[in-house]
Amino acid sequence: METILDTAEQTFIEVAEVWVPEGDRLTLANGAYGPHEAFAEASRQESFAKGEGLPGRAWSEERPVVLKEFDGSYFKRTEAAKAVGLTAAVAVPVFAGSKLKAVLVVLCADDAVRTGAIEVWAEKDGVLALNDGYYGAATHFEWVSQHTQFPRGQGLPGGVWSAQTPILMRDLGSGYRFIRSESAGKAGLTTGLGLPIPVPGGDSFVLTLLSAKGTPIARRFEIWDARAAKAGAPGTAKLIDGICEREGPLWDAENAGNEKTAKAWSGPIGRVLGTGVPTTQTGAGANGYQMMVALPIHRGGELAHIVAWYC
Amino acid sequence: MEKLVVIGAGMASGRLLEHLFDAAPGAFEVTLFNAEPRGNYNRIMLSPVLSGEKSYAEIVTHDDDWYAQHGVTCRFGERVVNIDRDRKIVVGENGEVPYDRLVIATGSDAFIIPCPGHDLPGVIAYRDLDDTNKMIDTCGKPGARAVVIGGGLLGLEAAAGLRLRGMDVTVLHLSGHLMERQLDAAAGYLLRADLERRGITVMTEASTKAVRGTDAVEAVELEDGTMLPADLVVMAVGIRPSVAVAKAAGLTVNRAINVDAQMRTSDDSIYAVGECVEFAGQLFGLVAPLYDQAKVLAATLLGDDAAFMPKQLSTKLKVTGCDLFSAGDFAEGPGREDIVFRDPARGIYKRLVIEDDRLVGAVMYGDTADGNWFFGLIKDETDISDMRESLIFGPAYQGGSSVDPMAAVAALPADAEICGCNGVCKGQIVEAIEGGATDLGAVRATTKASASCGTCTGLVEQVLAATLGDDFTLPTAQPVCGCTDLSHEDVRRLIKSQELKSQPAVWQELGWSTPNGCHVCRPAINYYLLADWPVEYKDDPQSRFVNERKHANIQKDGTFSVVPRMWGGITSASELRAIADVADKYDVPTVKVTGGQRIDLLGVKGEDLPAMWADLNAAGMVSGHAYSKGLRTVKTCVGTDHCRFGTQDSTGLGIRLEKYLWGSWTPHKVKLAVSGCPRNCAEATCKDVGIICVDSGFEVGVGGAAGMDLKETEPLVKVATEDEAVEWTVASIQLYREHAKYLDRAYKWVGKVGLDWVRETLSDDVERKALVERFDLSQTIYRTDPWAEHTPRESASRFAPLTDLTLEAAE
Repeated sequence: METILDTAEQTFIEVAEVWVPEGDRLTLANGAYGPHEAFAEASRQESFAKGEGLPGRAWSEERPVVLKEFDGSYFKRTEAAKAVGLTAAVAVPVFAGSKLKAVLVVLCADDAVRTGAIEVWAEKDGVLALNDGYYGAATHFEWVSQHTQFPRGQGLPGGVWSAQTPILMRDLGSGYRFIRSESAGKAGLTTGLGLPIPVPGGDSFVLTLLSAKGTPIARRFEIWDARAAKAGAPGTAKLIDGICEREGPLWDAENAGNEKTAKAWSGPIGRVLGTGVPTTQTGAGANGYQMMVALPIHRGGELAHIVAWYC
Repeated sequence: MEKLVVIGAGMASGRLLEHLFDAAPGAFEVTLFNAEPRGNYNRIMLSPVLSGEKSYAEIVTHDDDWYAQHGVTCRFGERVVNIDRDRKIVVGENGEVPYDRLVIATGSDAFIIPCPGHDLPGVIAYRDLDDTNKMIDTCGKPGARAVVIGGGLLGLEAAAGLRLRGMDVTVLHLSGHLMERQLDAAAGYLLRADLERRGITVMTEASTKAVRGTDAVEAVELEDGTMLPADLVVMAVGIRPSVAVAKAAGLTVNRAINVDAQMRTSDDSIYAVGECVEFAGQLFGLVAPLYDQAKVLAATLLGDDAAFMPKQLSTKLKVTGCDLFSAGDFAEGPGREDIVFRDPARGIYKRLVIEDDRLVGAVMYGDTADGNWFFGLIKDETDISDMRESLIFGPAYQGGSSVDPMAAVAALPADAEICGCNGVCKGQIVEAIEGGATDLGAVRATTKASASCGTCTGLVEQVLAATLGDDFTLPTAQPVCGCTDLSHEDVRRLIKSQELKSQPAVWQELGWSTPNGCHVCRPAINYYLLADWPVEYKDDPQSRFVNERKHANIQKDGTFSVVPRMWGGITSASELRAIADVADKYDVPTVKVTGGQRIDLLGVKGEDLPAMWADLNAAGMVSGHAYSKGLRTVKTCVGTDHCRFGTQDSTGLGIRLEKYLWGSWTPHKVKLAVSGCPRNCAEATCKDVGIICVDSGFEVGVGGAAGMDLKETEPLVKVATEDEAVEWTVASIQLYREHAKYLDRAYKWVGKVGLDWVRETLSDDVERKALVERFDLSQTIYRTDPWAEHTPRESASRFAPLTDLTLEAAE
């Protein structure tokens, strides 16, 4: 098992930031910028109206938005991003019912070796098709994904879609019917986190984060169940699944019903439980990793799950 | 050091070794045989490995280091050939090992249905990692299809895993609902819906006849002839304790290896643990009792006192997103009381079964948070009389005041959503009420709340009541029965709009407060379902009144009456002879001619019914359905054939109508008549549908009655041809079938909806023909003779004398 000392490898996501509505604009609530202080400073000066920039676009279009080219786009911080090597971004709106709670933006740095995938799948004619995605160097996998569709219950996207719950898959590379799985195996994409992205109206979106060993999206994944029907009380969440490079499996079948519990306002997961808004952490809050992102998923207007990843 | 040999490295023996090494490290020199080429892993987590949601590495319980650290000699991948009890030697494939004490933990094997083709490549059980890997490999084949036989825990977990990996999956289950040992029909319905949402096809009451294929599996054939293409067949129908080695060694083996409470077999030096043991007549398949056994056996081996005692068990299914819980005994029975909570919008069902102030069973779907608390109450046999009122709401509500739904609604914030379909919040409804919308209809019109699926109607009414106080009176529509607040009209509308096609679907989606309805609602719901979904819904005889179950009218002395059908009231000498013969043969005391032009044989003993029907069938006669809420008789006069006043062939039209309509179920009984002229000898003007023939054609009237109420038919239409008369008659009956409240005669229904609406609807050519088409579709299922379905041999017992005549008769 690798240790924290291995984290010198480059990660797929370099920056994560949380924008929250304040009046009619989105303002920065918190962010994990790593070494990119200049970009952090530029972000702190910024705010977005509905439809403005990438976060404002995710708000107005009420769907996750992938932006792979900043030049000439509506991205407002292009110069600052380019200056630190950030080349692509994904904005994920967090809705509780029809109310926007926040927009999570993750930014990636492009090079020829960093492999991973952040994908947005959307329902079209009763199946899930790729809406957009950012794949870094995994170009063949990107092409295959563009030509793959998932019916209900099939594959990571179809499984998340039908179960309406986040799913963490351990081995994407073999034993699946999809050609995409072979391609994932060749690209070294092993672990996949899929999560439903609820939006107002009837559209279905699934976000997937696919992680490669060399340039992992995360070294630790967690799925927390925050539904009162499962966790027992509002403001409580149970760690139902997860894996960690250092601690190994974060679940224990022998201990079912007595999983690790988070309470509202206590710790980063508790903060998400209390606010229903994503958070990013560095330092102690990141559990010894460089960065942690916790993203809430609401269902029927109520907080249902929290997924967290650490890198 | 004592030599301990363990046969089988499963979860029970693994736990045993943990206890031994914890309590007395170094006390035993352990040799561990395992037929599988690996050590102990968490077998119950194989399902998430199959689905890809866990890796095998994550479920390994004891790795090589662990065995080495505890000095265990591992003989993995080696089967035990036999046990030589005299020499105290275990003989493995690769040699002998002496023991001082021996533990048999051979577990179980999957039960394979011994049908033709069960041994074809591609048919696998689901017991171990090798099976799991075989399934994963098959998933990699393009277009692979799987059939999983068995809709229990294991089968469903396999199905979900295979589906996630991209297979087309069909689950076959012999019983009427999934996981019938752990779930009642209501929870089984929700589980099925959940699996179908994943694209899994579920077939219940499906019996496997054979597995077909030449060199490998190609298809599964069902008893009804259905052929399901398959590249993989997973048999998950049950397990059999693996006892061959124990049996060969001469140990006492019944269904499994007999052990005492210390886990000792019939040989003092040999013990057994896990799925291969039988204790006090019981077998064990879930992990909790296996761990208890391991703990007891460790104590026994260490010379401590301990005794195994089976406990209550609970069940959970490991399919991501399917949340169910079941514990204890939830069968219905005398002295048992159910508490049911349903939340259709959230797909939640909770049922508690109480007996003698103790919780004895709990079934939950969708909301399982309190499962362990309920399980504790069951295990501890806690007296729940003090918390009965709020028990179903779980521990959070205990100690507080009882739940008042009005108070709960009053306390809701303004942005609480009341109507999920149209996204209407409490605040909007209150605003509408304050703006003058003071009844349900007005709120519906103003806000659209409860205007779609209607299941929030009760909530909207509570908001009305909370806002208006005494100014609000609940509408007068009567609920179907005490199981629901919904009226018959609401239920009919919702069965159509929500496409509810089974009784469990109605109970759950419409929030029934009882597990399976009651003697009042079940016949009505059964009728509504079969009328609206004739193909999809299967008639449930148990939801019928006794007359319809027995296909005969029960009389006050417990005997029955038998009425053969006489089409249009026409009979023949041979039919009359056959009736006379039957009356003689079965000693029928009374033979009477009825007002509907039939012959009624009264005083028939129940046990004679099947044979009597068979005799009448043999003479070419079928049931007259004189007992049913369905078409009874079409009465005719002789018309143009014999009568000098006759204007049309009234007898011919009556026979044609009866042959068209017979067998159909209706909200109440339906009687027709066709009179050949306005003199009306067939008394057509007091029937549900009456036709008067005139020189220019046919006058069709509806809504007549000559019973408790006396009412003349109202004119529906005048048509020129017999074909048109038939079309209008059939369409009007289908309209009645689709819209009337159960047990409303046609005249009552016409009175409620108005003749104008009936006439207007039927005047639409397209709609009229569509009604006829729907009637025709229904008749493809129901135009059958119930007598012919009951041969004397197989059904005589069902018609044996009743001991309980208290069942409420329909009329």
